[in-house]
Amino acid sequence: MKKILIVEDNELNMKLFFDILEYQKYTPIKAINGLEAYKVIKEEELDLIILDVQLPKLNGFELLEKLKKENINLPPIIIVSACAMDSDKQKAKEFKIEDYITKPIDINNFIKTVKQRLGEI
Amino acid sequence: MDILEKSLNLIDDIINDKEVKNLDFYENMLTMMSSLFNNSFIGIYFLENTDYILKAAIKNNILSKKDCKIPTEFIEKLLANDKKALKLQTKNNDYLFKNNILVKLAIRNSVFGFCILSKDSIVKDEETAFEALVNLLSYKIKDFELNEVFKIQVKAMQEAIIEKEGAYEVIKKQHKKLQELDKTKNLFIANISHELRTPLNAIIGFSQALDSKIFGELNEKQAEYIKDIQISSLHLLGMINEILDISKLEANAMKFNPTELNSTLIIQEVINILEPLYKNKNIEIVFNNNFNFNIKADYQKFQQILYNLLSNAIKFTPKDGKIEIIQSENKKDYTLKIKDNGIGIDKKYHNKIFKKFVHINNESSHGQHSTGLGLTITKELVKLHNGKIILESELNKGTTFTMEFKNIII
Repeated sequence: MKKILIVEDNELNMKLFFDILEYQKYTPIKAINGLEAYKVIKEEELDLIILDVQLPKLNGFELLEKLKKENINLPPIIIVSACAMDSDKQKAKEFKIEDYITKPIDINNFIKTVKQRLGEI
Repeated sequence: MDILEKSLNLIDDIINDKEVKNLDFYENMLTMMSSLFNNSFIGIYFLENTDYILKAAIKNNILSKKDCKIPTEFIEKLLANDKKALKLQTKNNDYLFKNNILVKLAIRNSVFGFCILSKDSIVKDEETAFEALVNLLSYKIKDFELNEVFKIQVKAMQEAIIEKEGAYEVIKKQHKKLQELDKTKNLFIANISHELRTPLNAIIGFSQALDSKIFGELNEKQAEYIKDIQISSLHLLGMINEILDISKLEANAMKFNPTELNSTLIIQEVINILEPLYKNKNIEIVFNNNFNFNIKADYQKFQQILYNLLSNAIKFTPKDGKIEIIQSENKKDYTLKIKDNGIGIDKKYHNKIFKKFVHINNESSHGQHSTGLGLTITKELVKLHNGKIILESELNKGTTFTMEFKNIII
């Protein structure tokens, strides 16, 4: 079963992503802030990361910056952010992340993007 | 050194302003002149301070320097208010000095005062020197007065300038404050938009999850309510997006990325997206997609313009109505018309329709939710494309929105 890390600080949004991914027969792992995510990424073999931007302790972009500095190999990343400003989308591109989904998500579109990034479709 | 030479030196001093300065000007003049003429009294008098008879006498040349015998009553009047002059009076009311010379202070023919020299005996040289000094003094006094006036005026002007600069600074500060407030407002809207999206994600997500039945079947009412929740959530999302859009447009933060586009294809795309809505009302959409126009436009924003206008047209056109979409070109200019035969807009609302938060209440729009920002955003997006939007409408006959884009045809 493919392991997908969900980095999300909102409890209900976390539950939504977790339930959808679990139902799709993946193994979701929870991280509720950037620091927790950092630890999981270093310890676990992951297939995909679902990353929020506004997070406590270490935000999404700060986390990416830290991982980049330490040359840590990363699985594909999908950013799911509530921030609809163009500047953040631009920032994501600087980290070579093309998948930037704005909340609220469309479930079917979200599942499709996950499957594409995992190379299943 | 004789009296003439000394007075010439004094004149030099006066001209060079070596000692004659500032507020003690007249006092200094008197002291210096007195030192020239031993055992004498010198007085300076101004017409504006002397009484009427004296004024008339001087003006009419009754008193002149040649006339050394000044009538006693004049002298008395003249000296009455002069404390120094009073000292000249002896106990038996005779004047200390026998001879008096009076020289007018005048510039050309304009007399403004006079100087008096009182001495027991006055020689010719002293008379000449006194006359020369008083003549020069006339000019010095006027010069001094003008200088004072000039200084006062310069000071007043400087004060006025400082005051204006102060006002300018205040305006500048207020302007800066307003700009900061505006920034705060836009930041606030961006934040609000973010904060609202987070719970909305859960609402839309969970209801979608139920609606897609991935966790099991729903009964009829449950399925209906889940749809209602989704419609309301999407409506709320639409409003959040519009508020964010208008805030971006006002902050000039709207990104504009024009590329080469085929307008016919985009129009067809938007028609397809709106198909459920116009089919539902059996509205006929007339669009000739045989003509192709290649234009320079921002794909997402051009699509938004079309979506806003076309969905509005569908909203305000009754069942079995008709909407026409007409494209045309003139050299490099591109015109697009969206014409419906719907309920129309009353003339009195025409100049309000593009303003923010304007709702025109009539029967057909009743129950249709909107922020009142759609047309404002549309107008601004058209502007971004170097275009303008014109409204023609008559109540109960229909509405036409014409967009004229300058120089966008490739």
